[in-house]
Amino acid sequence: MPTATYTPLATVTLGTAVSSVSFSAIPASYRDLIFVFSGVVSAGGGEVLRVNFNGDTTSGNYSAVFANGDGSTTASGTDARRFGLMYASRSQTVASFMDYSATDKHKTYLSRTGGASNALEMIAGRWANTAAITSIRVFPDANGFASGSTLSLYGVIS
Amino acid sequence: MKLIESKTLATAQASIELTSIPQDGTDLVLLLSLRGARADLTDDPGFRFNGDTGNNYSYRTFVGNGAAASSGANTSASFNYLGIINGSTSTSSTFSNASLYIPNYTSGLSKSSSVDCVQENNATTGYQTLVQNLWTGTAAISSILVYSTYGTNFVAGSTISLYKITKGSDGIVTTS
Repeated sequence: MPTATYTPLATVTLGTAVSSVSFSAIPASYRDLIFVFSGVVSAGGGEVLRVNFNGDTTSGNYSAVFANGDGSTTASGTDARRFGLMYASRSQTVASFMDYSATDKHKTYLSRTGGASNALEMIAGRWANTAAITSIRVFPDANGFASGSTLSLYGVIS
Repeated sequence: MKLIESKTLATAQASIELTSIPQDGTDLVLLLSLRGARADLTDDPGFRFNGDTGNNYSYRTFVGNGAAASSGANTSASFNYLGIINGSTSTSSTFSNASLYIPNYTSGLSKSSSVDCVQENNATTGYQTLVQNLWTGTAAISSILVYSTYGTNFVAGSTISLYKITKGSDGIVTTS
């Protein structure tokens, strides 16, 4: 019998539009975390998805570098707390948080994100804090997640 | 994540189809090791769901080749794109790796998917391809066909493995 490596921690399928979703009380018993989003924005054409850890809302504690393509041009830059892209058409984000429960290193994440009708992007981000991640809040810059969007968090065992 | 099915080609074959997709999962992950028989440095595989050959697919790409980055789009395609893989003139014994992530594959909504693919040629030029795909079909995904869009074969030794991920709760983590 194969060993299950993605342990489902929490999933929410939104019944109404919301401005953010938080995963709290994350146990330290896994090696890594995987976040999956599938959905659309609640209003507007598209926006950037952001992330906070452990309630830390100080933008200066975060950094991220991204590279993307929109079907004709490419770009790369830096943007604190950048975590994903979401659009009015179906979008998805799959992100990994490595060694999230360590207390001797800053926390990093890798994100693959985008929508087939708009753009796609890869992101590498860092939270300049050595605390174990116990909560994750994701939120678009403006507006929110539309009803029907699904957000899941998985623990990966070592 | 649970292995559902794995196939390794014993002989060259034009396509690989997975038809035993269970309907009790949330997301699907395909891991592929592919090399094409196309007489070129590269090959371009695509994939289709549920036997749908209509122009119900679209995708955008982001590609790096060791020298430059580029981006492209196909807004009306008969397949979703898996990325640039090794063709028959690439260094012998080199296979490309690709991972395909499909969330909410049983939903009654259109299906998005993302691909990370690398063609390593043991030479200056290699390709990394990121793809964001969309299939407008609203039926649950019950089969996946992977094939070369040039109509050529995948060589013997190519493999494809399908994994299922199921959502749920550990009873500890809360959402708000």
